Amino acid sequence: MAATDATVTPGLVLPPLTEEDLARSHDRSRVHDARVGRKRWRLLWLLVGPGILAMLGENDGPSMIAYASDGAQYGLGFFVPFIPVLFAMAFVCQEMCMRIGAVTHRGYGELVLQRYGRVWGWFGAGDLTLTNFVTLIAEFVAIRVGLAYFHLGSGVAVALGLALVAFTLSGGRYWRWERIVLGMALFNGLFLVAAILVKPDVGSVVGALDFTPFPGGSFNTLLLLLASTIGATVTPWMIFFQQSASADKGMTPSDISHGRYDTAAGAVLAAIFGVGALIAGAALLTHGGSGIQGFAGAGFPEALKHISGSAVGTVFALGLIEAGAVAILTISASTAYAAGECIGVSHSFNSSLRNSLVFHAANVGIALLAAVVILIPGAPLLSIALNANVLATVLLPVSLVFMLMLANDRGLMGPWANRRATNAVGITVIAFVGLCGAAYGIDSFLLSTHLIG
Amino acid sequence: MNTDLPTMDDPDPRATIEERDPRRPRRPEDELVMHLERDQLVVATSRPVPPALLSARVRAGLWALRVFVVLVSLMVIYTFAHQLY
Repeated sequence: MAATDATVTPGLVLPPLTEEDLARSHDRSRVHDARVGRKRWRLLWLLVGPGILAMLGENDGPSMIAYASDGAQYGLGFFVPFIPVLFAMAFVCQEMCMRIGAVTHRGYGELVLQRYGRVWGWFGAGDLTLTNFVTLIAEFVAIRVGLAYFHLGSGVAVALGLALVAFTLSGGRYWRWERIVLGMALFNGLFLVAAILVKPDVGSVVGALDFTPFPGGSFNTLLLLLASTIGATVTPWMIFFQQSASADKGMTPSDISHGRYDTAAGAVLAAIFGVGALIAGAALLTHGGSGIQGFAGAGFPEALKHISGSAVGTVFALGLIEAGAVAILTISASTAYAAGECIGVSHSFNSSLRNSLVFHAANVGIALLAAVVILIPGAPLLSIALNANVLATVLLPVSLVFMLMLANDRGLMGPWANRRATNAVGITVIAFVGLCGAAYGIDSFLLSTHLIG
Repeated sequence: MNTDLPTMDDPDPRATIEERDPRRPRRPEDELVMHLERDQLVVATSRPVPPALLSARVRAGLWALRVFVVLVSLMVIYTFAHQLY
């Protein structure tokens, strides 16, 4: 890290400053000015970011297709209330990540590695890299599905995704990266527009809030639905991303309340837009929607165009492009943070390419690798995409357990450690996610080995 | 990290570089860096935190978690490969 000269007069201890410190202190001085000037909205504007990005980043291509697929196959019942419940669970987890990042000023990867040992640290990073890689492939596929509606191919999807990663990195500032991605993420609202355009029956949407009718089908299908929907809402990359981004943004314990607003706003927006995708997909329920699953061709936008008009198809296709693009940026960033933290080198958007080569290389590299896979003719993209969320769900409990341990670590967190009520909710969330993931993994294994019928 | 230390923009004179030595010539970045907490500086975050002291029960729980995750992951990977072929 390039440190400036630390001119220190006798008796004064002034630490050497890096470019990262200077960039972060610029951002903090604006926060300080807004706080001192009691400019509440300005302060909120300056402090929002990581929470909204984590939540809307998770409303990614595979997730929105999963929600639309749920709607097309099962209708609104059960899922309309289930999606908000899952985002409430995500809020509990993400709030802890934000708090740990703001209090410790360190990312999740480095804290697990230093606090609980190298095995767990590298296990977490390996788990993250694997699930991120698979998910990024699915994001490029989602962009390709959206672009196919406009008669554009895989090459354009790859070029668009990689160009965005390179463009957002180019400024060398966390603030710039965050604002660009935040601006893009708000277009996740296109799924709400699609839902409005299909003119749903408001009565049936409200009526679905009682969790009925429960989706039918086999036990394994139900477990797959639960595991993939959970995997579409709470994932390991969100944990790595929000904690590291909160630290990189320079948040401090005095910003925790604003961090909570940020995370809550992200959860509410993501739940609304997710339900929007579900409602748009449900328009296909009585028009052969159950036959349109996953990423088969440009299924959803084309089908919506035929049933509800070209405007709906266009909006849904644009939404998929946006969802995939934003997720590529946030998921690549979480991989880069984890790589830098575990290797022990500079890991900040506030650091230049020269001073944080590993961070920037990991950011671009994982996106590039995923892009290469979707260009391979005959690659099993459908299977990869459908299994991405399930794999994330199976590996999630490890990340959640360490997150809970860190949030309870009074040596690190002091007075900002978890309270009993937060722990009770957190343990319930981990148990639920762990059971769903494990039950699906075990049941599918037994079915595929014909040990059960 | 948890710190009871005052922040650099804290009015507490013990924490403020400027007030600790008013004779020191000011650098342009000094004023800015005063808005950072001390343990927020890269030089501070580069220092590793000490390892946690885990009880035998917690260590056993973590081992059980490790075995559980490896087993379930192998099952999912097998199922995924089975679907491919």
